Amino acid sequence: MNIKTLVLIIINSLIVLVIALLSFSFYEQFSSVLNDRILMQLNSIEALESIQIENLVKSEWESFASSEEYKEDIDSTLVLSDSIKNINGIHDFTPYHKDKKATIGFVLNSKKGRKIKVIDYSNIQNILLERTGMGESGETYLVGEDFRMRSESRFLPDKKPYDIAVKTEGVISALKGVNGRGIFKDYRGVPVYSVYSLIQISNLKWVILSEIDVSEVTKPLEKLKMRLMALTLIIFLVAVTLSLFLTRIIVNPIKNMQNSLRVMAKGDYNQTIEYKKSSNEIKEMFEALSNLKASLQGAVKFSEAIGNMNLETNYEPSSTNDVLGKSLLTMRNKLIDYKNKEDDSRIMAKRLLVNGLENERRRLSRELHDGLGPYLTSLKFYIENNVKDELKKTEMKKIVDEAISEVRLMSNALMPASIDDFGIGVTLTNYIENLNKSTNINIEYEDLTKQEDSNISNHQGINLFRISQELINNSLKHSKAKNIRITLSEFDEFISLFYFDDGLGFDMNSVKLGSGIINIKERVEICNGSILISALPGNTTFEIELPIEL
Amino acid sequence: MNEIKLIIADDHELFRIGLAELLKKHDDIKIVKSVADGVELMDALNSGLNADIVLLDLTMPNMDGFQVLKGIKSLNANIKPIVISMHSVGNYIAKCAKMGAYGYLLKNTDESELVFAIRNVYKGKKHFSAEISEKMINFMSTQSVSENVLSRKEIEVLGLISKGLTTKEIAAKLFVSTRTIETHRTSILKKFEVKNTAELIKKATEINLI
Repeated sequence: MNIKTLVLIIINSLIVLVIALLSFSFYEQFSSVLNDRILMQLNSIEALESIQIENLVKSEWESFASSEEYKEDIDSTLVLSDSIKNINGIHDFTPYHKDKKATIGFVLNSKKGRKIKVIDYSNIQNILLERTGMGESGETYLVGEDFRMRSESRFLPDKKPYDIAVKTEGVISALKGVNGRGIFKDYRGVPVYSVYSLIQISNLKWVILSEIDVSEVTKPLEKLKMRLMALTLIIFLVAVTLSLFLTRIIVNPIKNMQNSLRVMAKGDYNQTIEYKKSSNEIKEMFEALSNLKASLQGAVKFSEAIGNMNLETNYEPSSTNDVLGKSLLTMRNKLIDYKNKEDDSRIMAKRLLVNGLENERRRLSRELHDGLGPYLTSLKFYIENNVKDELKKTEMKKIVDEAISEVRLMSNALMPASIDDFGIGVTLTNYIENLNKSTNINIEYEDLTKQEDSNISNHQGINLFRISQELINNSLKHSKAKNIRITLSEFDEFISLFYFDDGLGFDMNSVKLGSGIINIKERVEICNGSILISALPGNTTFEIELPIEL
Repeated sequence: MNEIKLIIADDHELFRIGLAELLKKHDDIKIVKSVADGVELMDALNSGLNADIVLLDLTMPNMDGFQVLKGIKSLNANIKPIVISMHSVGNYIAKCAKMGAYGYLLKNTDESELVFAIRNVYKGKKHFSAEISEKMINFMSTQSVSENVLSRKEIEVLGLISKGLTTKEIAAKLFVSTRTIETHRTSILKKFEVKNTAELIKKATEINLI
């Protein structure tokens, strides 16, 4: 389940629950208060009317009792038995009425005679009609002992009260002498709030009931219910909208981040992360992601650099726990070690190769010079001693001399014996002196090496000689230079070979591999030296420096 | 006429034989000994062998010609060495001359010059042919053998410093690297026992060096 649905469900069900609970308890509270209020109201109305009726009847009785007029003041509609007439007191004459009209009558038998009177029932009816505070459906009515109504019904005005049977819970209970209140069905079968009590005056035994329809009372409750439901619905809708909005605020950045992380997981660290600064946490989260990205990018760049063998690149681990950074650093150090070892062994191999080459040249040079040379001189002596023909002798000697000088040239070209016997300074002097004889270029050489106890090793000497040879060769072949200046200086710490020509110069990048520059660089490298080349037209210089190795 | 007593020192037997054969024709030259290396020669001389001239090869096993020249000089004997070598370059010649050789011959020297040289040296003269002399002089002329406190180069650098040139300018002018000039400058300061250029120029002016 995704986070959006989860947040929606949790938030909204919580809200619905709270609203439902609140509404329910509010409703309950309200309805119970309403019940109490209604019943109290009814109670007071009922009590008031019951007292009014009692007072009315009693005052009527008193005036009747005190009257001296003895007569049976009844009309023909009333048929009274003698047994009734003999009982003094207040009577309910309704059963004796021809039309069963509610009637209350007084009977008094004294020594002076018999008095009978029927009181004006409309007074009672008026009291009952007082309906203040009873609402639409409220009414107060009287019921006789025979469970028949003694007052007009509001709802059934056309029916005779006597014909309406009221055998409800309240009437039964009141006739038993228990006054009270309650909700039950009235004579119409409609649920009502009812307060009932017994009115017992003399022989009169009636029940008075004040009632109001439950439906009317609960009308505001229904309204409230509807309102509460509407409110609940509105709140629910608002909550859903808000939570949708909220989840968007929360979920969108998360989704965004999820995408970013997904892209990063695929190894692409170059995406740009865009975000809305909707909250501090999200902002910080994205900043953290950016930091992560930056540090990963750093690591990637670093590993790219060391992958390209740019081993001088450095990397700051982002923290002491930056395992990736640390292992990359370890890798770089290992690579540096490896490269150094490789460089060392490469230089060593080159040195061995060059030394082997030079040794071979030396051997060949010596072989020519000291091996072949003496034979040729011996041959010359032989000719001198044994050839009698003077002309032939001269001719032969000339040929041998040429052979000897050729051997000398070859030997010198291979490796001048001077290097071993006199060192590089002198050898270069000789070499350049010879060259000056055979070329048009003006080569000036300045030898500033130490004549006695020079510290230039034989190995360095040979390489310096070869480098000079190569440089001069290049100048002669390619540069069209008119002047070459070479200075070889020896100091306590280093040897400096400075080479200058005023030729065309060359492009460092496009210079042909065969042109000897590589050779020169390699020789400088195997001597642990450094070289600085500036190839400007008219001013080409090579600065070569070798350390003095003691 | 006195006989010239001669020793031949060369590691090539064929050469020795050839040379001996050649010199045999001349009655005034007598070869008293023929040795293959310097050790053998020095042994012979030490054992009291009397000789006027030794024809000395430079490249020999065990003990080469230069060492022999040194040995003879310290021996204080009368024997006069003539170097006969395959090497035709000036520095060899100059070195031999410096070390006491009376003559320098190339191995392919003609008989006439060889004999002439032997006789010349025997008379107490030094023999360096025109060709050999030229080579030697050419070499020596390019050699800087300044024994002064300051080397020739250092004086040059000092002169340029006093003219107010920067290290870079001096380097370009003298065809050396800037580091070379820096080193020269440091060396000059050290030799003059001064701390900076101003003091250096003051001191150099005082002793009329610039």
